[in-house]
Amino acid sequence: MIDTRGLSLAQAPPFHVPARFFLTAPFFALLAGILLLWEGPASLASRWLPLALAATHLITIGYLGLLMCGALLQLLPVVLGAPVPAVRWVGNLTHPLLGLGALLLAGGLGFGLPWSLASGAMASAMGFLVFLFPVALALWRAQGEPGTRRALRAAVLALLATLLLGLLLSAFLLGLIPLDDFTHWANAHLLWGLLGWVGLLVIGVAIQVIPLFYVTPPYPARVRAWLGPTLLVLILLASLAEVRGWGLTATLAQGLATGAFVFFALLSLRLLAQRGRRRLDPTLLHWLVALLAVIAAALAWALQAPSALIGILLLVGLGVGLPAGMLFKILPFLAWFHLQHRQIATGRFDLRIPHMGSLLPLGWARLQFGLHLLALLLAVATIFLPVLARPAGLALVLAALVLEGLLVRVVLAYWRASRALTLPL
Amino acid sequence: MNETISTFMTEDHRHCDRLLAVFEHAVERGDWEQAGGSGQELKTALLNHFAREEDRLFPQLLAVEARAGGPVNVMTMEHRQMRVLLNDLEQAIGARDRDACLGLVETLHFLNQQHNAKEEGILYPLADQGLAAQMGGILQQLRAG
Ligand SMILES: [Fe+2]
Ligand SMILES: [Fe+2]
Repeated sequence: MIDTRGLSLAQAPPFHVPARFFLTAPFFALLAGILLLWEGPASLASRWLPLALAATHLITIGYLGLLMCGALLQLLPVVLGAPVPAVRWVGNLTHPLLGLGALLLAGGLGFGLPWSLASGAMASAMGFLVFLFPVALALWRAQGEPGTRRALRAAVLALLATLLLGLLLSAFLLGLIPLDDFTHWANAHLLWGLLGWVGLLVIGVAIQVIPLFYVTPPYPARVRAWLGPTLLVLILLASLAEVRGWGLTATLAQGLATGAFVFFALLSLRLLAQRGRRRLDPTLLHWLVALLAVIAAALAWALQAPSALIGILLLVGLGVGLPAGMLFKILPFLAWFHLQHRQIATGRFDLRIPHMGSLLPLGWARLQFGLHLLALLLAVATIFLPVLARPAGLALVLAALVLEGLLVRVVLAYWRASRALTLPL
Repeated sequence: MNETISTFMTEDHRHCDRLLAVFEHAVERGDWEQAGGSGQELKTALLNHFAREEDRLFPQLLAVEARAGGPVNVMTMEHRQMRVLLNDLEQAIGARDRDACLGLVETLHFLNQQHNAKEEGILYPLADQGLAAQMGGILQQLRAG
């Protein structure tokens, strides 16, 4: 039975729902950069340092969490014909909960404040849970590309696992429950979060978006159908082996999962090399760097490089960069799309709606990409030359500021045009 | 594999995508001679595609499938938006305004992609199901234009 609900316009959330998520997110990348600037050379010596943990959660919950949730609320109805039930409510609750949760959790982890850790963990968990159930329901009803559907369902399961493990770790840190081996549980949390939630979401989105945006051949049908589920099983196995202390199985499963991501990255690069739209736009530059960062992170893992290096490659190269690149297209398109509908409603066809290129000037987007690349290279170099930590932090701050400036510009242009359309002739 | 409404119309989408890529590349190189020609080709191909849907496919689908009413309205409205973009694009080509051409083609491509995703994911499968009995005749009509 084919469901046609997804095609009704009323299902697309109003502009302010995703826009609010997108406008808030860069501040958390900014804060992570400020932490790096402030703490300096010592900050990246180990992934276990309080400030490294704080920066990580600012990026994963504040920046990535907000961007990915905001984007999914918007994209599910458009791409998979699956409107999220009660989308305004979900937006109204998830947005402040995740923002507050990221701040409090980072404060708790970075400065050893138990009340901050406890309230931050609760707020983040609630923010994600309020989002998870309606989205799971929408994904259940989704149509369209089955590979994307599967990968997104797997990503949502991974988010749930990450969140439960995160709550467990917080309870341990607060002295509420005992854990035999904290490191192993923390590794499992990290596996679900990075490879599961972030990795699977990237795969689900790439399968759909790369061929559409860049007019490339499609991903092979078998890859589309099976990559997501295979990775979900491997991550489950790896995390189970990690907490049970089955060293060999854990390494093997992680190795296979890493290999699958490298395969995916190489395949994506090959498809992009065959793309019909030759234009090297800033979004594509972010995709290329993110895919190369995935390959570099896998190499670093295989060579047993410091885990902080792998973390930087994945968090900054993939996590901070790719969503910024996607926003360069998503936000101006949404603004244009909603302005179009307003124009039809008000009948002001004498006015011209600004196109995407004038809503978000690509020259500034290219500068944002350049600053981001500089931040990534400096942060990677910091592992070997700790004195570069402050320049790396500064580049991160600047890249986040330019990103925010670009997004604010789009929203201001939207408001201006929207007001003009509503004025009587 | 047998040709269906889905496969035929999806291939037509891809054909338009390729024309758009050729046009965009010409604008980016500053080759206005070529851009004028390939811009015209893109416009013709897209307008033909919309006409195939609005004049042939959609009316027959509506006759057998009441649930298609809402989606067909949305698709037709998006066609109208794309026609406006194509006209703006023609003016920008005439003015040799590179930034306007690239910004408009980006908007057109994005709108068209999400439009096509909905047709390929929902509307064409609905047509394959509802119009299975008349498939041969409809394909012939679609091919004719
Ligand atoms: Fe159409
Ligand atoms: Fe179509």
